[in-house]
Amino acid sequence: MNPNIDKQEIKSYLLGDLEADRRAAIEESIWSDPGVYEEVLSAEQELIDHYITNNLSPSERKQFETNFLITEERQNNLRFGRLLRRYLDSQTEIPAPAKKFLPFVAGPFSRGAGIAVSAAVVASIAIIVMVCWVSMRKPQQHAVQEDASHLVKVQLAPGSQRSEGVTAQRVEIPPKGFDVRLELQVSNTSFRNYKSELIRENNSLKTSEELKAEPNGAQHVVPWTITGDVLSPGDYQIRLSGVVDSGQDEFIDNYSFRVTK
Amino acid sequence: MNKDWSLSQEAFDALLDWLDSDREQAGIKYEEIRARLILTFTGRSCAEAEDLADETINRVTSRLSAIKEQFTGDRTRYFFGVANKVYMEYLRRKPPQPPPFPPIDSHQVELEFRCLEHCIDNLSKENRHLLLKYYGAEGGSKIDQRKQLAEELGIAPNALRIRAYRIRLGLQECVEKCITQSDQ
Repeated sequence: MNPNIDKQEIKSYLLGDLEADRRAAIEESIWSDPGVYEEVLSAEQELIDHYITNNLSPSERKQFETNFLITEERQNNLRFGRLLRRYLDSQTEIPAPAKKFLPFVAGPFSRGAGIAVSAAVVASIAIIVMVCWVSMRKPQQHAVQEDASHLVKVQLAPGSQRSEGVTAQRVEIPPKGFDVRLELQVSNTSFRNYKSELIRENNSLKTSEELKAEPNGAQHVVPWTITGDVLSPGDYQIRLSGVVDSGQDEFIDNYSFRVTK
Repeated sequence: MNKDWSLSQEAFDALLDWLDSDREQAGIKYEEIRARLILTFTGRSCAEAEDLADETINRVTSRLSAIKEQFTGDRTRYFFGVANKVYMEYLRRKPPQPPPFPPIDSHQVELEFRCLEHCIDNLSKENRHLLLKYYGAEGGSKIDQRKQLAEELGIAPNALRIRAYRIRLGLQECVEKCITQSDQ
């Protein structure tokens, strides 16, 4: 990459926040250096991801919406970014390549690890045999059972301020590999979609932007499925906003819960 | 130049011949030039970036016989010079409003999601792993996870970024193709 252009400058260029002479310098590089051209396109993707995950400052968000999203192509890229984020959030865990385990097996202190790997292999075979046996016996029920067995449902009522003596809902820490489906009760279902943010000790852990309300008995909930391994014992808060047709956000409420061992 | 001048197949062929004698290479160069033009116009806050890119290409093509005789140098950069003139004219015109966000249709979102799953399933094992690990990390763990991934693959962090970008770009193209086929 051109050493005279840094990532922050490319970001400013994309947000339309660069002096004319520096913008001209970047343009020159885009036309003369294929590396810079690809860098800028890659930075576009990162900027979109930062917008989706709420990692831009308020002024950058405004610049993004007014200066960056001016073409249909970029709007499509944002749409794809949201789609990819939704897919990634739906994944329980990231599969690791086989070679990652090699140091355990071949390392100088590998005896204990080797036993652990062997035990894991035996356990995996046992699970596969069990799953096959169940699926052969009840083929129609297999998918439902598998889904149900890896999902913990938690229904949360809104409440910005918890009165004294009323504790936040308790949630037991989910087993490894499980998803948690948080069902946020809502009364207003007129929003185009909903945005949520999982917060712990004032730190944003996770966000989602394309949630939809759905009926749940006599109520409506906004379901949000997150991976269980995000949660550890402690107090959490979810901030929920609704998105109106014009694209503006409207804060709805906070939802509190406590994760226990 | 007449702005209503349209690009005929004959004129387009002449443009490709000028860009490169090898037709495949010429096609690649044409796409790269158009993409750079769009990026340049977008960087200058032009909502009609694609139209201005096409206008630039049309303008070069319409004057190609004269350019062939007079111009020596980097042919790709010639487009940049013409783009600057097109931009100056654009500034004198009333700028159009940016396009509104298209309404979100829940069925379309579900179709897109199914297409994405299909396209991710069709990635090679290595590319799928890279995609999920590179984009899957969030918050503070993101930097560490990407650093670890770069070490695992034996490449520099910047090379990893470009590799992830290319996989994602290919994935987006695959999803768009899948949606188009599903609509037919």
